[in-house]
Amino acid sequence: MRINPDKCIGCEKCIIYCPLNCIVKEDKKCKIDEDECVDCGVCKRANICPTDAIFMPRECFDYPRAVRMQFSDPCAYHPSMKSFGRGTEEAKTNDVTGKFKKGEYGLLLEFGRPCVGVRLSEIEKVTVAMRTKGLPILEENPLFGLLEEDDSGHFKKEYVNEKLLSAILETRFKEDELETIIRTILPLLDNLSTVVSVGLVTRFANDGSLPIIKKLEDLNMNIRVRPNAKINVGLGRPLID
Amino acid sequence: MSHSLHRYGSIEDLENDYCIYARCAKGVNRNNPGEKLRRILEIYQTEDFVNFGSAHAGKCYLDGLDPKQYAKRLDRAYGMIVSFSKKSSAENILRKLKDENIGISIVVSGLIDEIRDIAKKCGLKLHTATLSLGIYGNTSLLPKKNTLKITTMCGHSLIGNRLVESIIEKVRTEKITIEDAALILAKPCVCGIFNTVRCSKLICKQL
Repeated sequence: MRINPDKCIGCEKCIIYCPLNCIVKEDKKCKIDEDECVDCGVCKRANICPTDAIFMPRECFDYPRAVRMQFSDPCAYHPSMKSFGRGTEEAKTNDVTGKFKKGEYGLLLEFGRPCVGVRLSEIEKVTVAMRTKGLPILEENPLFGLLEEDDSGHFKKEYVNEKLLSAILETRFKEDELETIIRTILPLLDNLSTVVSVGLVTRFANDGSLPIIKKLEDLNMNIRVRPNAKINVGLGRPLID
Repeated sequence: MSHSLHRYGSIEDLENDYCIYARCAKGVNRNNPGEKLRRILEIYQTEDFVNFGSAHAGKCYLDGLDPKQYAKRLDRAYGMIVSFSKKSSAENILRKLKDENIGISIVVSGLIDEIRDIAKKCGLKLHTATLSLGIYGNTSLLPKKNTLKITTMCGHSLIGNRLVESIIEKVRTEKITIEDAALILAKPCVCGIFNTVRCSKLICKQL
């Protein structure tokens, strides 16, 4: 995003709308730090600029910069996934896709969220470690398309410095791999210069319980499953039980 | 989404906060879902909803998305979300969706125990849960907890801490009402999962 200095009157109304606080006032004009900006479009959509000085420059649509908008602006389209948002169905459609089967779990790592943002170089620290340890990275996700094809876990070098508002990395594993996966992946997050909201996908047991909660407690890693969740209620058809 | 998954707050803060998401699946039922989604939108509107929207619409109901105009655009959509602030509304919607057997995947976010209770009353067999294990990494970068309770109501992280703190300050200095503040904060969240009723309660607690 950019602010046209010829139009800007320095009213500062846009400053508070930036989710990553990268609009500043310099020399009586508001200015966007374009290296920190993730092209989410919030400042423009807020429609608060009295002179319509905020715009998306043409170069924001060119690669590699274009990935900023694709991941950060939910109204933008992921061409590789043909979808909006962060580009993954996660477990939202699991009742008809069977992406996460009984006996399997999914781990969803949402980098940069909330309120911080993330460079792909930070996510790469995790993808490289996961590849090194032989942990799978799910392909039905736009992050996968940015990875080198050599299975190193590195992102293609032209993307590494790009900054996103958030992005979700997904992995899937068997029930008996829970402890290994959790003990391997969660410590990797400790040294990142961003935050990661962590989600775990699990099927309900036939009695409606969630045995995973006790299993996580038993790991003695101080993992606190939050009381709120996102639940697929099984109304998709044809149903994969 | 993981959208509505990581809403932050105590159990008390999170009561009566429901998002119901209809989502077509690629390769299964995503081709020409317009009629089904329009019917779901009609069902959503039979109850006292707070907000609705979707990324492809580009704005939410509280930012002026007209349901009739939106319905016309659903042939190219594959999902939409509605938010409710009453358990009874969420229950009624799920019952109607079950009765009509539309076949599109439905996801509900809220307190696990409340959703279990609703499912039992509606005769739904819960399929898959996405649980939140919290926030990891450099958490010193996060805004204060009371601010997080509000910013995390936008799952795409489009509501920044500075906006929240600035708007609450305007309420404190009586420049705007709590309801106006909640509406201002809801607008960046194009998916319509920002619950202004919950937001008003949270702001009230901070004054």
